[in-house]
Amino acid sequence: MTGVTIAEPASPSRTRAARFPGFGLIAALVFAATQAFALFTTPPDRDMGNLVKILFVHVPAAQVGLLSVALLLVSSVLYLWKRDERYDLVAASAAEVGVVLTALTLALGSIWGRPTWGVWWTWDPRLTSTAVQLLILVGYLALRSFVDEADRRAVWSAAVGILGGLNVPIVYMSVKWWRTLHQMQSSPSTVDPVYAWGLRLNDVAMLLLLIFFVRRRYEAARTQREAEEMLESAALGRPVPNEAANG
Amino acid sequence: MGEWRFIIAAYTITWITLLGYGVYLVRVRKRAETLRDEAVRQLRRGDS
Repeated sequence: MTGVTIAEPASPSRTRAARFPGFGLIAALVFAATQAFALFTTPPDRDMGNLVKILFVHVPAAQVGLLSVALLLVSSVLYLWKRDERYDLVAASAAEVGVVLTALTLALGSIWGRPTWGVWWTWDPRLTSTAVQLLILVGYLALRSFVDEADRRAVWSAAVGILGGLNVPIVYMSVKWWRTLHQMQSSPSTVDPVYAWGLRLNDVAMLLLLIFFVRRRYEAARTQREAEEMLESAALGRPVPNEAANG
Repeated sequence: MGEWRFIIAAYTITWITLLGYGVYLVRVRKRAETLRDEAVRQLRRGDS
């Protein structure tokens, strides 16, 4: 008899997600709408022709992917500073979403590059630094899966997360520092105004998806962490904090 | 028509990737909830 009151199996993920259950659906619908807007309202580009329409998914994926790595950096620094486990879980969630978006960026860039540049891949600084970013993120997730002890895993992965974050300005500035094949950043100041709104709106839609993904991944990670702590307590016959038992 | 093959491929890959990750997140969440329910059951057994 441990004297601990166990509530009904509460599911924090369910309760937290229930606060705004339709957010993911809304984000997906907004994404579909902004893509349709960009696809069907913009004219072919003078040089690229209709291939310019690929940039409405490639550029937002790249920009929001960089944002997820920036979130990884901030969360990693905050974890090392505050030693609060929540920052570690936010960092891990941002890294996982970052892998998805960075891989998508590279795939879309490759599809755009083949008919435009004539190659699927070239060792251009922007492409190379983005590939390095993907490798760092995959390494970050691999490291987390190799280390069992939670505190050590959090500290080591925070160090790798900071390293990944330091690569963000290199990726961003690579097209300015080394003028090679990849064009300058696509922003309202560097693209024709007729394409600017398509880019802006798709950026916002991709940002909504980032928020949805990171939040959902964080909630799942937190639920899993609570479950692991409870299982450990049950195995050792230790009382568990009511917070963990009740969610 | 040639360039539209690349455009269709790009948008298809985007949706498959993002929807696929969304489905993966649902599975991860369900697995975490199952683990948590199991942990609560084990704690109850130890409690009684």
